[in-house]
Amino acid sequence: MGKYLLRRILQMIPVVLGTTLLVYALVFALPGDPVKAMFGDKPVNQAVAAQIRAEYNLDKPFIIQYLLFLKNALTLDFGNTFAGQPVIDEIGRAFPVTIRLALMAFVFEAVFGVLFGIISGINKGRWGDTVILIISLLLISVPTFVTGFIMQYLIGVKWRLLPVTAGNDPGFLDLLMPAIVLGSVSMAYIIRLTRGEISSNMNEDYVRTARAKGMGRRQVFVRHVLRNSLIPVVTYLGQDLGALMGGAMISETIFNVHGIGYLTYQSILKGESNMVVSIVTLLTLIFVVTNLIVDLLYAALDPRIRYA
Amino acid sequence: MAEPTRKESTATLPGQERYVAPIDETPLQAVDSIDESAPATSMWADAWRTLRRNPMFIISAILIIFVVFVALFPGVLTKQNPNYCNLDNSLEPAKAGHPFGFDLQGCDVYTRTIYGTRTSLSVGLLSTILVVVLGAFIGALAGFFGGWVDAVLSRLTDIFLALPILLGAIVVLQMFKTSTSIWKLVLVITLFGWVSTARIARGAVMEAKNLEFNTASTALGSTPWRNLIRHIIPNSLAPIIVIGTTSLGSYIVLEATLSFLGVGLPTTTVSWGGDISSAQSVLRTNPSVLFYPSAALAITVLAFIMMGDAVKDALDPKSRTA
Repeated sequence: MGKYLLRRILQMIPVVLGTTLLVYALVFALPGDPVKAMFGDKPVNQAVAAQIRAEYNLDKPFIIQYLLFLKNALTLDFGNTFAGQPVIDEIGRAFPVTIRLALMAFVFEAVFGVLFGIISGINKGRWGDTVILIISLLLISVPTFVTGFIMQYLIGVKWRLLPVTAGNDPGFLDLLMPAIVLGSVSMAYIIRLTRGEISSNMNEDYVRTARAKGMGRRQVFVRHVLRNSLIPVVTYLGQDLGALMGGAMISETIFNVHGIGYLTYQSILKGESNMVVSIVTLLTLIFVVTNLIVDLLYAALDPRIRYA
Repeated sequence: MAEPTRKESTATLPGQERYVAPIDETPLQAVDSIDESAPATSMWADAWRTLRRNPMFIISAILIIFVVFVALFPGVLTKQNPNYCNLDNSLEPAKAGHPFGFDLQGCDVYTRTIYGTRTSLSVGLLSTILVVVLGAFIGALAGFFGGWVDAVLSRLTDIFLALPILLGAIVVLQMFKTSTSIWKLVLVITLFGWVSTARIARGAVMEAKNLEFNTASTALGSTPWRNLIRHIIPNSLAPIIVIGTTSLGSYIVLEATLSFLGVGLPTTTVSWGGDISSAQSVLRTNPSVLFYPSAALAITVLAFIMMGDAVKDALDPKSRTA
C-alpha cells in the first residue's frame, strides 16, 4: 500500500510538469504584446517597456521563463498580473467561490443522480424509468449554456424565484441556480450509470442466493445490490469533483459568478499568461490528487482490489 | 457425471444407502448440440441484427439521415439567404414564409437554423474522424508494443487528460482568432480529444493481444505485424466505434460552446452556437430567437447520443442498457 502510494505520487510529478509546460508553451505562443497593450493609445516608451519586460521576465527565452515560473511557484509566488495585483491574491479571492459552487453542484448531482438512478433501475422498463431516461438524455444533449439560459429566463426572470446573477460575494441562494446548471450534465450521466449498474446487479447470482436464504427484499437491495452498484458511481463522482472545479467556466460566465472559471476565461481573453498558467497548475494538482484519492477509495470499497 | 454413482457403490452399509436421482441427460444434450446447418454469422452481422430491432436505433437513424440531408441540401428547405438581414425586420414575430420569426439583426431565424446544420455537422464529423484515427493509432501503439513505448505514450495521455478540454481549446483558439476556417476548430478538438479514444484503444488492443487465437496464429508461423492487422485490429474495433459515435455529439456541443464563448467560429459563419450566443442579449424579451437554434442543436446531439447507445448495446452484449 505504502509502495503503491509512493509510486503513484512519483507518477504525478511528470504529469503536473508536463501539463504546466504544455499550457505555458501555449500561452507563450499567444499573439499580441501585453506590454504594448499596457500603454494603450500612448506612444511606447522603449526604456519603460524594457524595464517592464525585465520585471516580468518577458525578455528571457521561453524555457528559462518556464523554469523561473516553476521555481517561484514552489514558494507559492505566482507573480503579478499586468495590472500589478499579485496573482495569488486574485486566485485566493475567486477560489472559495468556486469551491462553494463546485461542492453544491457535487451534492446536487450525487443526491439526485443516485436517487433517480435507483428509481429508474428498480422500475426498469416501466413509465417512471422511461421518463427519467428521457430527461437524462435531454440534459446530456442540450449544451450547458442553453440549459443555463433557459433556467435563467424561467426561474430568474419570469417567475422571480431565484436571483438572476450572482455578482460579488454570492450566498447560497445566489449560487443555487449556477450549481444546478453546473451539475446537471454529470447528474444525467450518474443516473444512467447507476441505473445500468443496479439493473445488471439485480440479476446476479449472489442476489438470488441472498433472497433464497430468506433475506428481505429491502435488505438484499441495500446490502448487496446498492453497495456493489455504487462502486463505479463513486469513481465517477470523485473524478468529477476535479472536473467541476475546472469546468465551471460556462456556468460562472452566464450567472456572473466571480470564481475560478470566470477568472480563467477573462484572463485568457486579456492574455494574462501568468494567471492562466497558475490556475491551470492549481487545477491540474487538484485533478491528479482527487484521482489518487478515488483510486484509494476504490480499494476501500471493493475488497477484490488490493494495491501492492 | 459418474461421480454420484461411484459414491453410492462405496456406501453400501445397510440402512445407509443414499438416494441418487437419475440423471436426466436431455438438457445436457440440448446444450451440447450445435446447429451445423445455421449460417455462420460474424460479430458484425450479429450486431447489425440486434441494431435493426432496436427502436432507439431506428429513431436516431431517421433523425441523422434528416440532419445530414439538411446539411447537404439546405436550399431545399429554404429559398432565402441566411446572411440576408434587414434591420426593418428586427425581432419581428413569425409570419408567412418566416415560421421562426426574426432575430435582432433582422435575419430570418428559420433560414439561419437550417444553414447552421452544415457547420455543426462538419465540425462534429471531421473532428470525430481525426480523433478516432489519431487516438486509435496512439492507443494501438501503446497497447501493442507495451514496455517503454507504452510508458511514454501513457504519460503523454495523462498530461492531456489533466488539462480540461474547454480550457485548452480556448487558449489555443485565442491564437487563431483571425482565422475563419472551421478547420481551426476541428484541429483544436482533435488536439485535446484524442486522449479518451487512445485510452480505450490501448485497453482494447492489450485485451485482444492476449487472446488465444493470437498465440495459435503465432504458433502457425504468423508474424507480429500480421497478427496486428489480421486479428488484433479487427477485434479491438468495437469499443473504438462506440466511443467515436458517442463523441460526435459532444464535439458538436463543444463547437457550439466555443462559438458561444466568442473564440470559436466568427459571427460571419452561420452556426448554431454563434446564433445562440447573439440571441442571449434579447433573451428576456424574445426567448424564441434563442429557442430554435438551441432545439436544432439539442435534437442533433440527441440523435448521435442515442445512436451511440444503440451501437454500444449491439457491439457489447455485456453492457446492454435496455
